[in-house]
Amino acid sequence: MTPLSIALNLALSFAGLAALCLSMDRHHRAIAGRGQSRTRARGLRLAGWAVIAVSFAAAILTSDWNFGPVQWIGSLTGAALLVVALVSYRPAWIRPAALLALPLALAAVLLA
Amino acid sequence: MVDGSASLDRVRARQGWRYRAAVAGRVVLAAFGGYALAALATAFLSLTLPMVRSEAVATATLLSFAILAGAVIWVFAARTLLRAAIGLGIPMALVGVGLWVALGLVAAGPPA
Amino acid sequence: MRPGFRQSMAWLHTWAGLVTGWVMFAVFVTGTATYYRADISLWMRPELRAGPSDPIPAAERGIAYLKTHAPKAMAWYVSVPQPDRPVIGVYWMDSLEAPLGQALLDRETGTPTRARDTQGGDFFYRFHYELQMMPTLGRWIVGGAAMILLVALISGIVTHRRIFADFFTFRRDKSAQRGWLDAHNVTGVLALPFHLMITYTGIVTLGLMYMPWGVTAAYKGDDLRFFVESAQSTTWRPAAGRPAEALPLAPLLARAQGEVSEPLEMVIVNNPRDAGATVVAVFEEPHGLAHQHPQIAFDAVSGAVVERVGTMKPAAHVFTSFMGLHEAQFASPVLRALFFLCGLMGAATIATGLVLWSVARMPKAGEAPRFGLRLVRGLNIGTILGLPIGMAAFFLANRLLPVDLAHRATWEGGVFFGAWALAALVPLARPHRRAWVEMGLSAGLLFGAVPIVGALTTDRGFDFLAFDAAMLGLGLVLALGARAVSLYEGRRAAARAARPAGGLAPKGLVKA
Repeated sequence: MTPLSIALNLALSFAGLAALCLSMDRHHRAIAGRGQSRTRARGLRLAGWAVIAVSFAAAILTSDWNFGPVQWIGSLTGAALLVVALVSYRPAWIRPAALLALPLALAAVLLA
Repeated sequence: MVDGSASLDRVRARQGWRYRAAVAGRVVLAAFGGYALAALATAFLSLTLPMVRSEAVATATLLSFAILAGAVIWVFAARTLLRAAIGLGIPMALVGVGLWVALGLVAAGPPA
Repeated sequence: MRPGFRQSMAWLHTWAGLVTGWVMFAVFVTGTATYYRADISLWMRPELRAGPSDPIPAAERGIAYLKTHAPKAMAWYVSVPQPDRPVIGVYWMDSLEAPLGQALLDRETGTPTRARDTQGGDFFYRFHYELQMMPTLGRWIVGGAAMILLVALISGIVTHRRIFADFFTFRRDKSAQRGWLDAHNVTGVLALPFHLMITYTGIVTLGLMYMPWGVTAAYKGDDLRFFVESAQSTTWRPAAGRPAEALPLAPLLARAQGEVSEPLEMVIVNNPRDAGATVVAVFEEPHGLAHQHPQIAFDAVSGAVVERVGTMKPAAHVFTSFMGLHEAQFASPVLRALFFLCGLMGAATIATGLVLWSVARMPKAGEAPRFGLRLVRGLNIGTILGLPIGMAAFFLANRLLPVDLAHRATWEGGVFFGAWALAALVPLARPHRRAWVEMGLSAGLLFGAVPIVGALTTDRGFDFLAFDAAMLGLGLVLALGARAVSLYEGRRAAARAARPAGGLAPKGLVKA
């Protein structure tokens, strides 16, 4: 349960939830100013869930079955709050922030 | 949802004492009936669950608050107060009889 | 209470949430503060310095103090100093009915500490589950309110049918009621696992008090036996009735420490000075979710090991894990911060729900607010802003009351409740929205003053950076909230002025 493993969880949760948020038409319109194709929405949704699943695996691998689930859910909540805040107040930031989160997650893996 | 409830409340306020009595009846039934069912179930399970008695007590006590919450939800979801009371009374009677039998068996002592 | 399952659950959610909201808001806020109980206590006793110390000599000093000050007690407890709690805590039980006696000792000298008399973070901790009332009454009120909150959570999930569709939705540009509803939903849904977990595990933590019937049936009410059989404590050995000289403590503790890798946390002596006296060495929890302290009991006179608390069976393990999850003592700093955030979101869910109730019942223009609405509004502001004002005043009192004042700790509590009462009463004499702005600003200023007053009145300077930053952050959030309400108020006034007399206003504005 090192700070790095939680940072990894937070970054992955944020990227995954941001993708899920972008896959929803209402939010996509608010963020990008236009609609999106069905295929793209489905792709984003799949990617979002996949990253969240990876985050769960990372939590279990770094913090075992005892603390892993606690850490995974906690970081999902924290990241979701950040996504909602960005969508409501700075919608333009969400895509760059999500793209930045992925290399940050990678950096956490390499440092750990 | 919450939206329309204000005006509905006002309408309901005019329905007078009959409505208030029904609400009060459910509150009393939920609090005392729900607790009685949960208490009986805890005692019953503590004596009958097929495990060491400390484990049975821990399991039963852990479950008891879910039973209580379920009972309260039932009392407020039932269509009439009478249905709510019957729906609570039947399991209470069953568990009560079961507890009575179990207590008798415990008093008689384990078979040698 | 309306036709249809969802409708009846919506009704239940509204009213269960309302009746339990004020108590549970206070429980959530003080409970969230309790995640940092040790840090609050350190700040409130600036005379102490955090740091490591040797546990066994400290335990001996504690026992030496109890020998002279509580010779007739039936049990002694010594909690050894921790890095974040640099004092020896001694407690003694004179009888099963009497409250525990207690004193804090200097870890080096074993004499009563020179640190100022304060309850520190324990004040909020005890408020969290006893409301600073008579323990039994307070615990039953908190337990009842928590049970109603659990019902409100379940009925709220049923009511909110668009949990996933509205997961990220916070509409600030629609009506005020819509905004409050979204805020309530977002804070409620995003931290829903936490809300359910913390409510249920909180009830379970005092579960044997609320639901003792399992112990009654299976143990004939002998709960000590239950704790022993579920590997939570050692057996109480009866007193022999004749005095005897106990062996020196340190070798026993050293032998116990030789068997256990966790550090010593507490030493218990049952029936001290008796021939049947027992010494129990209690160690810290191994790193895990459950409350599972390794314990070794010795015969105090012969020095023989009489009992070792074994490993827990599955159900007891789950039970104590629930308690462990509730307290989150296992959490590393980052995870603790996430728990803290979730606790704040819980408080925010309750607060937005309470405000939403009053916004949804806003009287039409020209209509006077009914008594129920006035009462709810008064309680809302008195709780949501009154409690933080009380907490900030409590911190300030800790620094401003004379250090040698008699009954100082009680005075600090008095300031907390006095400031809270004042902050709840003043708004009643003010226009409702103005009162939110004024009280929010006052709370923000009080929190902002805490680090300044703290640094000016002690020689610790900037030793408490994290605490000071937290106080400034809270103050800033409260002041910004007040500013937002005041700006909103200004826009409304402008809209009202621009509205042609007698004409129909746009619908959204009237609702707002």
